[in-house]
Amino acid sequence: MDTNDIRVAVLLIEGTNNEQEVYLAFKRLGADPELLHLKQLISKKDLSDYQCLMIPGGFSAGDYVRAGAIFAARIKSALRKQLMEFAENGYPIGGICNGFQVLVELGLLPALESKMSDYPQASLAINDSARFECRPTLLKHESKGNCIFTKDIPYQEVVLMPSAHAEGKFLFPLEKQDEYLQRLIDNDQVVFRYVDTQGNYASYPWNPNGSLYNIAAICNLEGNVFGMMPHPERVFYRYTHPDWTRVYKENGDGKAIFESVLEYIRRKF
Amino acid sequence: MPCEINLIDADDLRLVKISQEAQLGLSLYEMKRVKKYFFKKKRNPTDIELQSLGQAWSEHCCYKCSKSILKKFIFGIDAPQNILVIKEDAGVVEFDEDHAYVVALESHNHPSAIEPYGGAATGIGGIIRDVVCMGAQPIALIDPLFFGPLDSSTVPRGVKHPRYLFSGVVAGISDYGNRVGIPTVAGMVCFDEGYVGNCVVNVGCVGMVKKKHVVRSRVKKPGELLVLVGGKTGRDGIHGVTFASAELTDSSEELRGAVQLGDPIAKEPLIHACVEVSEKGLLEGMKDLGGGGLSCVVGEMALAGGHGAEIELDRVPLKDAGMVPWEIWVSESQERMMLSVDPKNLKEVLKIFEDWDVPATVIGKVIDEKIQRIFYAREKIFEMDMEFLIKGPIYNKPFQIKTVERKDAPFEEPEDYNEILLRLLASPNTASKEWVIRQYDHEVRASTVIKPLQGVLGKNTHGDAVVIKPLEDSYRGLALTAGVNPSYTKIDPFWGSASAIDEVCRNLASVGATPHSFADCLNFGNPEKPDRLGELHSSAEALGYVAKALGTPFVSGNVSLYNEAPHGSIPPTPTIVGIGIVSDIRQCVTVDAKNEGNPVYLIGETKKEMGGSAYLKLLGIPSTTVPVVDPKALQERMGALISAIRNGFIASCHDVSEGGIAVCMAEMLIGGDVGARVDLGLIENMRDDYKLFSESNTRWIVEVKRDLAEEFEKAFEGILFRIGEVGGNTLLIQNDDRTLIELSVKELRDAWSATLYDYMG
Repeated sequence: MDTNDIRVAVLLIEGTNNEQEVYLAFKRLGADPELLHLKQLISKKDLSDYQCLMIPGGFSAGDYVRAGAIFAARIKSALRKQLMEFAENGYPIGGICNGFQVLVELGLLPALESKMSDYPQASLAINDSARFECRPTLLKHESKGNCIFTKDIPYQEVVLMPSAHAEGKFLFPLEKQDEYLQRLIDNDQVVFRYVDTQGNYASYPWNPNGSLYNIAAICNLEGNVFGMMPHPERVFYRYTHPDWTRVYKENGDGKAIFESVLEYIRRKF
Repeated sequence: MPCEINLIDADDLRLVKISQEAQLGLSLYEMKRVKKYFFKKKRNPTDIELQSLGQAWSEHCCYKCSKSILKKFIFGIDAPQNILVIKEDAGVVEFDEDHAYVVALESHNHPSAIEPYGGAATGIGGIIRDVVCMGAQPIALIDPLFFGPLDSSTVPRGVKHPRYLFSGVVAGISDYGNRVGIPTVAGMVCFDEGYVGNCVVNVGCVGMVKKKHVVRSRVKKPGELLVLVGGKTGRDGIHGVTFASAELTDSSEELRGAVQLGDPIAKEPLIHACVEVSEKGLLEGMKDLGGGGLSCVVGEMALAGGHGAEIELDRVPLKDAGMVPWEIWVSESQERMMLSVDPKNLKEVLKIFEDWDVPATVIGKVIDEKIQRIFYAREKIFEMDMEFLIKGPIYNKPFQIKTVERKDAPFEEPEDYNEILLRLLASPNTASKEWVIRQYDHEVRASTVIKPLQGVLGKNTHGDAVVIKPLEDSYRGLALTAGVNPSYTKIDPFWGSASAIDEVCRNLASVGATPHSFADCLNFGNPEKPDRLGELHSSAEALGYVAKALGTPFVSGNVSLYNEAPHGSIPPTPTIVGIGIVSDIRQCVTVDAKNEGNPVYLIGETKKEMGGSAYLKLLGIPSTTVPVVDPKALQERMGALISAIRNGFIASCHDVSEGGIAVCMAEMLIGGDVGARVDLGLIENMRDDYKLFSESNTRWIVEVKRDLAEEFEKAFEGILFRIGEVGGNTLLIQNDDRTLIELSVKELRDAWSATLYDYMG
């Protein structure tokens, strides 16, 4: 299908606050994004009219309980079936920051066995520093081809996308940690890992939250559901990179994420 | 139900007692004025009428002590960019042909001193509403903060430790600003003995609006409906403004109920809904509920439109059903806005609020006569003339101007400048504020193009100003910065305040921005004391002097007086927020040094001005020679620098401020992770330490692109010294053949980086 026919639902509830940037990223590339309050999606709109669902960052419902839990519960109670169908039909679902937390709470990620687990299999816990961390992070691309959101980024390339969160430490339940992590790796579900300027897997501050295995982004088994803590929509252009006055780049590193998913939709549907 | 207060029969003693018992904050003179009014009306006031007067006549609401001074010096700087300035909650200034930016700045000092987390959070909430009520989308937050020293060993009774206040305030700003999705991009943190008893928490917000969508804070015509939108009304924040208009004492803790409770998640959709109804042209007027709650918003909106209002108080949605009418009327519960809506648009307005899940309730209407009436359970409980109620008393209180004799105490020149520079870099006022900055989301909205931390990844230094790119289809940028140095103002309120303007102008010019407007938040002590009011007078005079000479207007501001505890007042703190315009953000430069071999220049004159300098504070030597400002020189040098930046000559630029040339160079190298060799021999007739650490105004250090150096020198009109070159990994500063400083960039960075983390964890 043509880019300008691709309808992207950018979903929000109270406290979602990165929706405009995600909306603009798709708009700039010629797609047809729409900001949708969950209320509208439940009562008036139909998810099957869209080809991509994005859950942006923010502090949905305040994140006063576990981050993303309330947003996820509200989606699940009203749209569980539609959401599963959407994912099963191969349509892309992306979650950034709070949106990643929502996808994990929904059981759509990592979804090691099936499309959607009944209970969360992982969590994005409070940062090791116990503080909100707003800082540039470097990510090594580790998807060997499974993830449809990063197809345009070469394997092992290091990209810069900023992080800004208080709860981003990717964890598995302790007793299943080794097993789950191995499956995540074997399934090619690890998409980005935090590295330092030399490309080494490094600790704080390069790993801003203390994530297991330096995980910054993962996808599901099929590669069409994707969640990441850092913010690609904040580095769509080169001049929102933190060091653009010293390092020249043609484009912002985040642009490739949105280009990749649109390219996938164009080819597949 | 409201009760009647017997004022008509009260003698002076009784009048004072009534004011105290009801926490009205009104003086005997003011109580007599109220008594006279009701005597003429041949009845006694109700409690709600008296409470309403207490709110409306507080310093916080009517500026009774400061207005005449502000009018004389600060207001009325005419400039073509002014659209709607000083008159409303926020200033509206032209950005480009179709757009305006909106600026608001205010203090939240008293609440933050009692309850730092909630006080700071609701400060953010309030300033965002001030911008939203002009119909604008908030795009940036700015927070200048002032505390006592972090290493204070003891603090007076009833006062909270600076470390507790600092950590609570930063957490409050971070939790509220991050949740509401507006980037906190600029500000300052300053520590000084003078803030032990009263911390100063100033909050600023900038927004963007299409010129044709600007909404006024007033009603238009009788028959319009007053619609209260947002959160419910509760007992939080009762008497906030009267609390803010008195000194803090060791029993102020009992007034914790005066601090409001913030809810960023109620605010976030409220912003969307308010911006949507204003963009659709459905509003006649809009104003936020801040200090004084309903009692202030209704009267001020109605009177500004030349009309009156009738309110049915029992329609107000409550958090707590047991609230009595006067409590509902003066509550400062957060996240509320008042709309004035033409009845024909009501349905559509209510629908939009419903779609955003935000409550909206019609609570009254605009009437023709200039009278305010309130009904509760169908009974009239309030009826007063608008003019009497809202136009509070204006005083010309006695003030005393401080005379400053400019002199330095003689002292021996120190031996080891390396050690002094390292100690200066590690001092809390100069040291890295990364601990604070990283807790604020300074990038949400993805339009922060010049960030508060700059340099090689992982090796940042502080920027002078941040730049926002507010519009999707334009490269025009808005530069923001804040400044004031209380070490200067406490010695010399006049030149200290003038220096604050110089500093924000320097910061803006550093990134390539032309100063466009100022907002001021004047934090001072008790105005009933002549010397304190004298400080305000001198400060306002200086601000007006420099701003008028530059032709740059003050467009918004706030006065916070009574920042005083039994053991003393704060230093005069005229916080200045500067807003600059960048014609193309792609031309902006940053502080971090860039490339080996690039020449380094000093712009401006270095004079023996050491009063309030970081260097003399470190050595403990008194001096009163606070740097002076020559507005003409400032104007000329800024112009030359900005054009050099736009011509692409400049690789990096940093203004010279606290710690002088030595600290300025160090900060550029820390961010660039590269060394430099500098010789100060060209600066004449001065001791080495004055050359290194003088804080004379209107100076910058620039790194010029090597191949353009000749062209730059030719084009630059003004005072210019070629002082060295970028290179190596050491900062080497010499004076002719004497080496003054020789330190590796790593040593500089280690000294500069750790301080706040060491105190705060």
